[in-house]
Parts: sequence; structure tokens; C-alpha cells
Amino acid sequence: MLRDKPVILCVDDEQIPLSLRKCVLEKLGYSVLTANSGTEALEQLQRQHVDLVLTDMLMPGLSGAELAREIKQRMPQLPIILFSGVNEIPEDANYADVFLSKVEGPARMSATISEVLSQARKLA
Amino acid sequence: MAAPGWKASPMSSKEFTKPMEDHEKVNILMVDDQPSKLLSYEVILEELGENLVKATSANEALEHLLKKDIAIVLTDVSMPDIDGFDLAEMIRQHPRFQKTAIIFISGVHLTDVDRVKGYRQGAVDYITVPVIPELLRAKVSIFAELHRKRRQLELLNQQLEHRVAERTRELKQRADLLDLATEAIMVRDAEGVIQFWNSGAEELYGWGREEVLGRKVKDVISIKPHNSHGTLQPDLFDFGRWEGNLVHSTRDGREIVVASRQALKNNGDGALGAILEINRDITATLQTEEALRRAERLAAMGRVAGIIAHEINNPLEAIINAFYLLRDHPSLNDEARRYAQLGEEELLRVAHIVRQTLGFYRESQHPISISVPEILDNVLELQSRHFQLSQIQVEKLYETEATLFGFPMELKQVFLNLIANAVQAMPNGGRLRLRVRDCVDPRTGTAGISVCIDDTGSGIDSQHAKQLFEPFFSTKAAKGTGLGLWISKGIIQKYEGSIQFRSLHLASGSATCFRVFLPGQISGKTLKSRAVASDVPGRPNGDSRAS
Repeated sequence: MLRDKPVILCVDDEQIPLSLRKCVLEKLGYSVLTANSGTEALEQLQRQHVDLVLTDMLMPGLSGAELAREIKQRMPQLPIILFSGVNEIPEDANYADVFLSKVEGPARMSATISEVLSQARKLA
Repeated sequence: MAAPGWKASPMSSKEFTKPMEDHEKVNILMVDDQPSKLLSYEVILEELGENLVKATSANEALEHLLKKDIAIVLTDVSMPDIDGFDLAEMIRQHPRFQKTAIIFISGVHLTDVDRVKGYRQGAVDYITVPVIPELLRAKVSIFAELHRKRRQLELLNQQLEHRVAERTRELKQRADLLDLATEAIMVRDAEGVIQFWNSGAEELYGWGREEVLGRKVKDVISIKPHNSHGTLQPDLFDFGRWEGNLVHSTRDGREIVVASRQALKNNGDGALGAILEINRDITATLQTEEALRRAERLAAMGRVAGIIAHEINNPLEAIINAFYLLRDHPSLNDEARRYAQLGEEELLRVAHIVRQTLGFYRESQHPISISVPEILDNVLELQSRHFQLSQIQVEKLYETEATLFGFPMELKQVFLNLIANAVQAMPNGGRLRLRVRDCVDPRTGTAGISVCIDDTGSGIDSQHAKQLFEPFFSTKAAKGTGLGLWISKGIIQKYEGSIQFRSLHLASGSATCFRVFLPGQISGKTLKSRAVASDVPGRPNGDSRAS
């Protein structure tokens, strides 16, 4: 059964938004792992299988864009969504697959995630 | 005995700037066939301290005259071969000796005296024998003094002429120098009549020197203060000087901003003599500075908007998620779930407004150079499906290569709003016309780009005109947020531009035109050629459906 549920690694330095996002994603039918920093996310990726990374952009230490670059160097096939509260795409964001605004709401987030996942499956 | 004053060739400056001494010796030529008489004259005249030259015949005398500068000829009248009068005649014929003083020595014959009187011109005198030493000395001394004075005068004259020549050369150089200056330099008299106009002024204003000299400056150039930069006249007349920026018109009707420096020059009697003025064209410099300032402000505003958006969006996402989870939580009854759902919907509206007002997705932190026609083409492409569906015919008139600094997405949003409104106003087809051109904002004098978006749609009711740009005002009932034009206006104001509209209701149908003015770097080429085509600059060039 676990294979049917895609695993999403959710990265954010703020605990409350992260836990709420985890609940929403679980309700939407995903299996969710969380990390509070880019470094922690990279560690998790070494230990566990992940189908998609949903990362915040502005974080202390590794930023979301930097994390995306690190991940793509190790796992080029792993899809990454940059998730941001800033209405602005950073110049080094091209390592991520999709840029998504935080305030689009769960429906839009869900649609984006399934689209990215289905594209990744096609490529695989 | 050099006698520099008598050289026939032009003098070198050293020679005639040499100061003339008051008692430089002059040459006195004494002519008599009897050496004893010459000797006695010598004795008498010795104490005058002049140079005494002796000749025993007229021929010898002429030889001396040709070699030396002779001030006075003292001659015996009765000599063999050529007598004193004949010698005098020969001397006078030579132009160099016209003014040489001649003193005749003769016996008391009436005939001689009469002949002497015949020499009306030139310094001529006579003295009778027996010679009275004091009388001879006195007469010679007077002529010697006269000669010295005349030579001094001549030297002074030459010096003066030389100085005039030098001064003329200096002035010519100065005039050449003034023509080298790229600044416009002009002089006008108390009545404002132009008296001097350098080539810098010809270049800047397009008026030739011959065309403006003698005309009043206000008939040639229209002069306006730049911004509200002090008052010109009081400063100039109270302090004699004025500096500041002015707006001047050129021959081809362009308006330029000049940094002007003016000074009063009074006549000797204290009355106003002339106004000197130097003007430098700073139009391009100001435009560049303006563009930089605007770009900096845009960047700062972008940073602030980004920070605010971040601070609002992060908690907003958490709340939206919380309401989403609440919405169908099993522990809540239907009424509570409905409240949660309403809360989520309203929060999504807040998120939408935040996204629209605090910046679109921007490609870059820094404003970049934008081509307005490119942006418009981009928007037209986005709307192309609507044009087909509603059978809207699109006309494009792009008449500028001008660019401006900013964020392409913001401008895209402005034009998308305006074009989408136009499309929605023409559900049954019509014509949409886009016109972009260089222009100067008539109210501020700023150069920039004007974009006119005309449609032949349903038009705007005059009762709605005032509220059109207010937030949450919509004529599209439930379809619109009422934010489109308000946001567009906000963006345009951020760029220090303006937006206006006009709606006409005619029997044949109605027409609406939105005109957006955005300050920017004008593509000089286009503007100049248009100005030559006698297009009145500064006229609001929007809304001109007839053109």
C-alpha cells in the first residue's frame, strides 16, 4: 500500500506552517516527511525514498534554491517544487521544476503536485 | 647715428616700443660754401648739445640728407652752383623731407625775405647776417625741440597702432575661442536685443548668427522656468548674476533644459549695458538622472513589497491550511464546517489581493530596460483566443523605439487589464487599436512614451467616470474584482506616469480610449523627425481618434 502513496519531503524552517502543510498533504493522500532545514532535508534524502521535494525558499542556512541545486546534483530525476511566500522568482531558481506561491490554496497545491509527479513518472 | 624713426620699412616691435628719451640728440645740417662760416655756426650751436653735420655745397648736403635723419637744415642762401633756395626746393620735393626744418641765412634783401615767405608749408625760417648768436641758437633750439616732439608723437602713434593691432588679434582669438565652446554664448543689450551669438548657440538653438543678431531674444527663444526654480529677474538685477535651469525652445520647436549662467554688465555711467549669458544643454543628463532615480525607487519599492508579501503570505498559508483542515473535520457539525469553508474562501480572496497589490511574480529584483511594443505584443498573444472568439480586429501602430526602466510583468499586468477590459466591452466584435509613440507630458515636460488603447465597445457611462480608478469599483457585477484599473493606476503612478481615458457616445456607436503615459528614454531620432514635421510638441497626443 505504501507504494501507492507518493512520498513528499516538505522543507520549511517554520514549525507551525510546516505541520499544517503536512496535515493538508496527508489529507490529500500523500505520505509526508518533514525537515526543518536544507541540511536536514539532504540527510533525509540519503536515508529514505522520496518522490517529490516541496521546499520553502527563504530559510536560514541553505535557501530553497540552493537546496534544489544540491539535490539535482545528486538526484537529477527527483522533482522539486519551490514554495514561496515572496511573489518573486529568484535568479537561481532554475534548478527547481516548478515555482509555486504559498497562498494559492490546497486545491492549487494539490493540482501542481500531481502534475509534477505524473511528468516525473513519464520521464522515469 | 641711427635714426630709427625714419626708416621707411615697417618697424619691428622692439624698435618702436623703445622709450623715446626727451633729449636724444638730433642732427643739424649746416650748409655754407665758406668753411669759416661753418666753423662760426659750429661754435655758436655747440652749446645746444646736438649733432652738428657740415656740408660745403648743396650736393654734399643732399648726400648727408639721404644718409642721415636730419632735423634742421641751416643753409646759406648765396652759394655757387646751387643756392640755398634751390637746395630747399630739392629737399621739399622729397617726401621724406617734407617736414624738415630749413633756416636760411642771408643778407637783408627784401627779395630774399619775400621768397622765404613763399614757403607757406613746413618749418621755414630765416636769419640775417650778421648772425646774432643768441637768435640763431634760439631758432635752432626751437626747431630741434619741435623735431623731437614730432618724433615722440610718431613713435607713440606707432606704439598705439601696434597695440590696437595686438588687441584686435586678441579679440579675434577670444571670439574664435567663444566659437570653440560647446555652450551657447550670447550677449544682449538692455532692451534684450541680441548682439553676440556664438556657434554653440547656433548649434543648440538651430538659429544662425545672421538670423538673430539685432532681434530681441524673446522673439527667438521662448523661455520658461524649469520646475519652480526661483525668479530670474530680481536676482539678476539685484546681484548682477544669476544661475539656474531654464526651459528654452529651439528653432524646430523642441523644448530643451539648459543650465544657464547670466551676468549683468553695466556701462561706465552705471546704466545697464548688456546681459551676458552662457547656456549648457542638460536635457539628456536630466533624463538619465531621472531614469536612474526612478529605477532606484522602483527597486526600493520592490524590496519593501517583497518583504511585506513574505510576512503576510507565510501566516496566511498556515491559516488557509488550517481552515481547509477544519472544513470537513469529522468532529464539527455542518454549520461549523460551513463557517470554516467561508473562512477559507475569504482568506483566498485576501491572498489574491495581496498577490495583486504587493507585486506580481517578478523575474528580477532590479528594473530592466523594457520595450513597450514587445510587452504589448506579448499581451496580445495571451489574448489572441479572445480576439478570435469575439471577432475583434486588432490594429497596431508602433511608432517608437523608446525604452523605459521597470519590471516587465508589472507593465504586462497594466496592459493586460486594459486590453482585457476592451475585449470584454466588445462581446459582439469591434476594433481594438494600440498606438505607441514618443511624447512629452504636457504637464511636467517629462519625455516618455504614450500608449493609447482604443476600443469600439460599449463605452463608459459618464456617471462611472469618477469612480473608475477606485478600488473595488466594478461595472462587471460579480465578474470583476474591481481592482484591475486601481492596480493599473497604482503601477503607472509608481513609474511616475499617468493614465487617462475618454469615452465617446456617438450615433454610430461608442468608442473608448485609454491613454497611458510612462516616462522613459525617448528614441531621439524619432522625436526629431516628428518635430520637423511640424507636430506641435507638448500637445496631449492621446485620444486623437481622427489622426
